[in-house]
Amino acid sequence: MKIALFHYFIKQAMANIFENRLVHLIGIGTMSIAFLIFYAFILMFVNLNYWIEEQGTSLTMSIYFTEEPDRVAIEDIKKELFLFPGVTIKRFVSKDDAMKSVRRKLGDKAGLLDGFKQNPLPASLEILLSRDTCDDSLPYQLKTRLEKITIVDEVQYSQEWIRKIQAIMEAINIIGMIFGVLLFLAALFIITNTIKLTIYSRKEEIEILKLVGATNRFVKIPFMIEGSMQGFLGGIVALISLFLVYILVITRIDISIGFASLDIVFLSPQFILLLLLMSVIIGFIGSTISLGRFFRI
Amino acid sequence: MIQLFQVYKNFGSKNPALLDINLTVKKGEFVFITGPSGAGKTTLLKIIFCAERPTSGNALVDGRNLNRIKDRELSFLRRRIGVVFQDFKLLPRRNVFENVALTLEIIGFPLSMIRKKVHQTLRYLSLANKAGYYPPQLSGGEQQRVAIARAIVNNPLILLADEPTGNLDPDLTMEIMALLKEIHIRGTTVLVATHSQELLKDTTRRIVTLNKGRIV
Repeated sequence: MKIALFHYFIKQAMANIFENRLVHLIGIGTMSIAFLIFYAFILMFVNLNYWIEEQGTSLTMSIYFTEEPDRVAIEDIKKELFLFPGVTIKRFVSKDDAMKSVRRKLGDKAGLLDGFKQNPLPASLEILLSRDTCDDSLPYQLKTRLEKITIVDEVQYSQEWIRKIQAIMEAINIIGMIFGVLLFLAALFIITNTIKLTIYSRKEEIEILKLVGATNRFVKIPFMIEGSMQGFLGGIVALISLFLVYILVITRIDISIGFASLDIVFLSPQFILLLLLMSVIIGFIGSTISLGRFFRI
Repeated sequence: MIQLFQVYKNFGSKNPALLDINLTVKKGEFVFITGPSGAGKTTLLKIIFCAERPTSGNALVDGRNLNRIKDRELSFLRRRIGVVFQDFKLLPRRNVFENVALTLEIIGFPLSMIRKKVHQTLRYLSLANKAGYYPPQLSGGEQQRVAIARAIVNNPLILLADEPTGNLDPDLTMEIMALLKEIHIRGTTVLVATHSQELLKDTTRRIVTLNKGRIV
């Protein structure tokens, strides 16, 4: 494309946005809400999927102790554990750590715990069993063997509810797809209507452009740029809002599924770029549809 | 340059806008199209720059049959036809410079060339000091000259002017007519639609008279 033409298109798109700023502001606002819901869904979806994957490749087992074990006791148990293939130690949770975690989960209601004279929570050791190396009977064998050790109170493992979560995730996958398509259509609808309004407000101008020799492409490109910019701005606003929600809310609460905590990680830069690109593409498609459907030039 | 064969135009009402129009305008000619209001002058010009298509008959402009022309070819043809509209059709949100530059931007001229050509044309039409003004800030005569500037900035093959002196006082009328003649001298084929008999007085140019859609 010639530089002069490119300059013209960008200038016109900016002028269109500025002149119809109220329509665009409303459009960007509405669209950013649609995008925000979609991005939040993606954030949860990505994290849950990652978590399931992590839990799926290895099985988490928690060994609860009757009392706070000393270093030697822990080392003895570790030795016992390493006799089995594919076992890795995730972390040791002392009674204090467990209390801190419960306090964090209870938040404002943490004062309820003050009623206890001593810490009622058990210390535990979290281990991971690799699915590649252990067969289905190993967790049970391990559980029975460990529970025979005097210091060990109880052994719990996550296999059953992981299966349940996997089934739920499959359902979420389908719901997610339907939800995603609906939000995509909503964003398209918003863009289409915003661009349609700006086209109507410039109908006379478009007619003049055509009469002095503008091709359809020449008339349409600024509107397409306008739609893409709107998609981009909607995407940016949604991402910033999501990031704020993440910082101010999500990082301050503990989310647990079963007895494993879910640490929500914000979207990766690559994912952010992908979502922004998707917003731009939605903007572009929306404006193209409105140009084709509502203004046959 | 322009050939119309048995052109009819009907807008659906009882009386057709154009009836059996046969007209040939040669390259470099200066033709007045005249007739009372509603005679079909504007419709005839609209057929030539393809703002309207004939209901029947054929119209050829610069060798192109307007009945069969494709959208893209039509855009390229329109770039070779300058039109001065009766209502000027200036873009109110763009200043004089931008209005005149429009034709060149559409073609994709480099920015430096656009600046040069627009300033040259504005000087030629004594509008150099109005470049930054917006159409609503200009008088009728000035808007008319901007419309002419936009029509001629690209040195078109054909210039169509629809009532170019319609709302102007006699002095401005003479000024605009002198301009059109000058453009014609530079080699452009000019068609001027006017109902003003004053304009046609003493002219040696070809006059085509329309009445109720027919050439008389």
